[in-house]
Amino acid sequence: MITKNEINNFIEKIPPVPEKLKKTLSLLNSGELTHAAKVAESDLALKSYLRDIVNKPIYGFKNEVSAISQIFGILGVSLSQQTVYNYMITLLNPDKWFLFKLDSKTFFELQVQLSKKWETILKHLNINDKDINGAITLLPSSIIIAEALFCQKIDEVTLLKNTKSLDYNTILTRLCGIGLFDICEQIAKKWNMDEVVPQIIQSASGLKPSEDENINKLGKWMHLLLFYELSQPQFLKAQLNDFVDFQIEYVNDIYSEFASLMEIK
Amino acid sequence: MKPVLKNGIAILSPQGFIDGNNVAALLSIDDVEAILNLKTDMVLVSLKKVIFFNKNGLDSFINLFKKIQKKNNATVGFCDYDTNKYKAIKKFFEDEIYFSLFKTQEIAHLFSSSYKDQNKTILIYSNDNSQRSAIAIELHNNGHNPIVAQSKEEYEKKHSDYEHTIDSTFLGQMGQKIAMRVTGNAIIYTISDFLDVEINENFNMEYHNNSLNVGFRLFIFDAYKVIAMNVHALNFFSKLSSSAAEYNASICFTGMSFIKTPKEFKETLEDSGILFYNELDDILLDKKLLEELGASSAANIKNKRVLNKKNVAELPRFIDAAVSTIEMMTNAKAVKESAEIHNLEIKDKADKIASSIGYYGDIDGMIILVFPRGIAKKACELLIGENTDDSELILDTLAELVNIVGGNIKTLLSNENVSVNITLPRTYKDIDSLLEVVDGRKGVQVNLSFDDNKFLFFLTR
Repeated sequence: MITKNEINNFIEKIPPVPEKLKKTLSLLNSGELTHAAKVAESDLALKSYLRDIVNKPIYGFKNEVSAISQIFGILGVSLSQQTVYNYMITLLNPDKWFLFKLDSKTFFELQVQLSKKWETILKHLNINDKDINGAITLLPSSIIIAEALFCQKIDEVTLLKNTKSLDYNTILTRLCGIGLFDICEQIAKKWNMDEVVPQIIQSASGLKPSEDENINKLGKWMHLLLFYELSQPQFLKAQLNDFVDFQIEYVNDIYSEFASLMEIK
Repeated sequence: MKPVLKNGIAILSPQGFIDGNNVAALLSIDDVEAILNLKTDMVLVSLKKVIFFNKNGLDSFINLFKKIQKKNNATVGFCDYDTNKYKAIKKFFEDEIYFSLFKTQEIAHLFSSSYKDQNKTILIYSNDNSQRSAIAIELHNNGHNPIVAQSKEEYEKKHSDYEHTIDSTFLGQMGQKIAMRVTGNAIIYTISDFLDVEINENFNMEYHNNSLNVGFRLFIFDAYKVIAMNVHALNFFSKLSSSAAEYNASICFTGMSFIKTPKEFKETLEDSGILFYNELDDILLDKKLLEELGASSAANIKNKRVLNKKNVAELPRFIDAAVSTIEMMTNAKAVKESAEIHNLEIKDKADKIASSIGYYGDIDGMIILVFPRGIAKKACELLIGENTDDSELILDTLAELVNIVGGNIKTLLSNENVSVNITLPRTYKDIDSLLEVVDGRKGVQVNLSFDDNKFLFFLTR
């Protein structure tokens, strides 16, 4: 159904980070927000993405924020970098979604919700690290990978899922010995993301807990956050809820804290 | 959300959080329709991967349960929960619980018709006395030996001594219908209460006839729970037995009591060819008897029907469905080598296993797949999740695989506005037992190769 060759082709086709983005990220990394904004201004797609994201109600600004320097100023280094990473992930988006009932708007909404709530979680955990902050951006790429690899096999995969409740990650792992989150790791490497990012993502799969206690803890919060978001009506309708297996035992010890933070009643 | 059928139980497995806001998205109108049309005797919602739910969230499932019970009279409820979830559900619905709560799917399975008469000794505990009795009676009726712990302490003390234990379980209204299951190659129907003219409506005759056509030769009516039958039911079974005789098939009754049914009825039924046994195990545990009754044989087919144009016209779709499924499972590419019309020919019978599935509706026929054991093993690995040499597990999984092929065919045909249903799959541990079924039947034989392994597809009627 899916071979290792197809996976390798997919990874090979992942575009390198465009020069302007690379420069923007590098300037953000060294804290030069004004210079980074100037570079970002020249990438019209990035500019539009940043404006859209920062003017979402979840950010709570009364007046429209349009200048990139202003946006970076408001977001700060960490969140600016996270937003640019989010934009990079959208470069992998398919023109049309077939496997999941998604569109670019809903995917964008998922990115925003995950990022904002991840920020809340990190504040709660007293973590202020721009790389850890940016790690959440890689998580939705697993959805893009599942779409890319399975979109031509919808009928087969539907039959398989109706016979055995297998998620896409399990199917891929059993067929090729490589899972969705392993491919996420490859993307992170290709895009030179900090090494902590793929470590947290692997841990967030719920299947490969990290030996590093701190990373494992972050993986648990991210795993639970993912399923909290995927239980929202618009993502359930997009059929994202069961694309990977929810590892309930993995997150049991942090659930009460999570529920209280997210005000789940 | 679509259910997965396992051991005759349809299981819905939501993940994450369930509340009043998202449950409508979780259970669409189409999903509800599909679930209502399932022919199963148990529909359960697994809470294994649900970390949070509230009453509003569960209400939609409760409404679904009501619809299922009204339409199918199936057992409905929740399963796979911990003590906190169990307490929460009981608190939410208090005295209005007519659905069932099974702590695990395995416990639910003990109450299902596909796990009857296994004679398992099961330790049970419930702090509700009436539930304790209800569980014990239901298990006893299902052919098990329930042992009731009188206190929680006793239950915990004895817990490790038993293979099966039941606690945190609540039996609501249990379904009562003619359940059907396959044990080996015998089809077992479970009948209960009073058998009257309604048996004509409740019994799926089309399915039964197609099971005969696919090669099933032993049909057992487990009548342990039958109180009495009237003359309408008597006529029904007499006719059923006469028609089975034309296929050289056996019909047996087990556990039937004639206390409230006239004794002459038994003679009439025996005259029509029906055999009576005290217990199901009298048949199932006696391999020689099983063979005599035809559970492993299927010679003397009533009518060797010819393959018609309708079937041949759909042949490419049948092959596509089979090939794409096996390709998906083995991750190997298939190459078609030849396609010819003749009797089934298998040159090298060694180390091969087979499976068949029938379809009926706008067109009818039977598909047979013959696998080298190695390919079958590989194809089943995706479903099992590991490499295994357990022959029974491979045969069981092969049946699931053929079920997928059948489902695939059904979908492909429905795209062409051809409506068919599929029978339960049958497996054959060797080629000789397959040939007994298809001996003398002409069909289209397509030889395929998967990475140099020969695989055979045969379409017949």
